[in-house]
Amino acid sequence: MRLDFVRMFVDSTTELFQTVLGPTVGVKSISVRPSPVAGRDVLTIISLTGDSQGRVIFDMDLFTAMQLAGCLLGEPSPGMTPLVRSSIAELASMAIGQAISKINDSGSKLKMSPPIVITGANLVSYDQCFETLVAPISTAYGEVRMNITIQDLN
Amino acid sequence: MESATDRGSNQQSPMTCLIVDDSAFARFHLRRLIDSFENVLASEAANGNEAITEYRRLKPDFVLMDIIMPGLEGVETVRRICEADPSARVIMISSLSHKAKVEEAFAAGAKYFIPKPVTTDDLKKAIDEVLKNHRGGLPEAQQ
Repeated sequence: MRLDFVRMFVDSTTELFQTVLGPTVGVKSISVRPSPVAGRDVLTIISLTGDSQGRVIFDMDLFTAMQLAGCLLGEPSPGMTPLVRSSIAELASMAIGQAISKINDSGSKLKMSPPIVITGANLVSYDQCFETLVAPISTAYGEVRMNITIQDLN
Repeated sequence: MESATDRGSNQQSPMTCLIVDDSAFARFHLRRLIDSFENVLASEAANGNEAITEYRRLKPDFVLMDIIMPGLEGVETVRRICEADPSARVIMISSLSHKAKVEEAFAAGAKYFIPKPVTTDDLKKAIDEVLKNHRGGLPEAQQ
């Protein structure tokens, strides 16, 4: 596990959330799990490739997703519309993009995929069981949980 | 077809821009910012290939271009647009803002780079900069 990269992902996400969503953001206890714990209604997945590989999964409940989207769009949304999904994806993309930029400026090479948003009830990742760092971030709109897996290729 | 330079000689004609981003939200957000400026008309493209087609068709005064897109990504799209039209005024907008990526964007022909998230002030400054030798910059924001 590249804990230095994990820290950058968590810090960038927290900073972005503070900028975009307001100042009431905090990271609760960070824990290491044998696999992702994502199990809520809305998952946003970003794959990482380069000198290291892994993925970041943001998971949140539907209410939180709708609240976040409402903040970004400037108005409440009637449901999980394509624009709501896109706003959730863009939030994750900006957060991880900023971290990737810092990582690349520090000398490592890392790329990110465009985000994929999956919605459904009690979604669970049955991917390979890589050690995952789980960082719940509290916002004024509800909790967003980051599941981060990243390992060096060699 | 009237070119951007022709339109530049007529201060009453609207300025035109092409917003290129695969994210519907990013296009929505940029259009919202553009709409706060007077006399600017925005068109949209959701990917690189669509951007090239729309650029040829519309010849916009400036382009707002994302980098991370499925298929033809932003830097390569800028390269192709600028090869076909070296006078193209492209503003890159991306959450990827590391030195190598920014240099790659400028080498491809981009004239300005804004890291996401974009504010009205960021966008106005960028547009003024890329248009300063074209139409004297952007009209004042609506009050």
